[in-house]
Amino acid sequence: MDGELLSETFVELTDTLVVGFDVIDFLHVLTDRSVQLLDVSAAGLLLADPRGELRVVAASSEAARLLELFQLQNDQGPCLDCFRTGQTVQATDLAAEVQRWPRFAPAACRAGFAAVQALPMRLREQVIGALNLFRADAGALAPADIRVGQALADVATISLLHERSMRHSDTLNEQLQTALNSRVIIEQAKGKLAERLGVDMDQAFTLLRDRARVSNRRLSDLARAFVDGTEAVTGLAASRPQQRLPADGKPRQQPRPGPRPRS
Amino acid sequence: MIGSRPARIWALVAEQAAVRGGRVSAADACVAAVTAVEVTGAWLIAARGAEAGHVMRVTDEVSGLLAELQMTLGEGPGPDAAASGGPVLASDLDDGEAVRRWPVFAPAARQAGASAVFVFPLRIGVIRAGVMGLYRKRPGPLSDSHLGDALVFADTATLLLLEAQDQAAGEAAAGSGPGGQPADLALHRAEIDQATGMLTEQLGVDITAAFTRLRAYAYAHDRALSDLARDIVARRIRLHPDPGPRQDGQI
Repeated sequence: MDGELLSETFVELTDTLVVGFDVIDFLHVLTDRSVQLLDVSAAGLLLADPRGELRVVAASSEAARLLELFQLQNDQGPCLDCFRTGQTVQATDLAAEVQRWPRFAPAACRAGFAAVQALPMRLREQVIGALNLFRADAGALAPADIRVGQALADVATISLLHERSMRHSDTLNEQLQTALNSRVIIEQAKGKLAERLGVDMDQAFTLLRDRARVSNRRLSDLARAFVDGTEAVTGLAASRPQQRLPADGKPRQQPRPGPRPRS
Repeated sequence: MIGSRPARIWALVAEQAAVRGGRVSAADACVAAVTAVEVTGAWLIAARGAEAGHVMRVTDEVSGLLAELQMTLGEGPGPDAAASGGPVLASDLDDGEAVRRWPVFAPAARQAGASAVFVFPLRIGVIRAGVMGLYRKRPGPLSDSHLGDALVFADTATLLLLEAQDQAAGEAAAGSGPGGQPADLALHRAEIDQATGMLTEQLGVDITAAFTRLRAYAYAHDRALSDLARDIVARRIRLHPDPGPRQDGQI
């Protein structure tokens, strides 16, 4: 495990009092760093919406995002079990879990995942969401990786709740709703960019996120400007050669995200 | 229970419309929210795009004052909610933070009789339909349950306002589910949002118009919005600029 990146990540995940703090960017750090630091190939994150639903708020790849969504749509899967019980949920061989999750297990295998670990985002009695770690190979996540993964989820949870107590009792709810609307804007921007460049949603997301990093902007601000038409897309198109969607329609492997510029 | 809250709230909004004796409108969501969320009053501002909009409904005199005050001053939870895209929940207008944040609005609202103000921007991503505001005579935060209800009233008002805009523009009543209930976007929303973004390019229109066309196509072809969105995202269906939607390939 990369010790320097680990310490850097803990700093990032406690850095919520900065001006311009954005829940979406913050939770993307959590999913990206989980993939970089732990022996997992993808990560997805669900948060509880006061409307009474869980919502997919961040994911390290489109495949992980779709699998999180699949759990919600089918009301079944490790992330939901984890959220409902507040306990970690592990499946080391999804091919053998068809009885436990008749719809989720086959879908996860089809998406190329063989094992999963779901970690609660929890402080005492309050469970605010769950972090799902997906592995391409069967087998248990090493105990050290589970501990670090849970520590990252804990620090992120405390930071989000701490935000609330520090500033205003209403702040977390305001930020969560703003984040959920940002999530919608990002999906709208992905659609627009995917159509303009003829790429798939995963590539569109990677392009948007790379561009946000390079220009040191919030992903949601860039996405809004792009959908509004106030920001031209030419720079985005130029930053990567045009790629057509593969004939099989399968998402390409997402490259590992690089370190985020510190502001 | 997943899904039960939107249905319960839709029933309250439809009941309000029945009492009034008219077709369900966003104003009914505003009125029904007052009882359900246990607030003193509510206001609804309808706005298309970035325009300031107009006050569509107020439930009492104080709500009217609060709406007017914020539009005149350009200061208050309403303008802040419009800027951030998320709700602004000011549970005590007397506290230091509220007064620092809104030096003119907070004291004026207190004088008008409001101690807590909760404002919900009515939007779907970049698509804006207006703002719904609630106020209470007494200070204190919304409970989790009231907040959840208020958010769903706001979601309902958003879709009803967009439908009303469509009708005003001569589009078919689109996106409605059985009994006129707006489609429940929650579980399939990412595909719907992605498809809407794709249509801005396919049709060369802005995002609000793209969402209108998406719903009009679903309505005209008797398809669930989420199914249609999935076909568009998978590039099984393309829409074309006028003279009218046409379908390529097979479903």
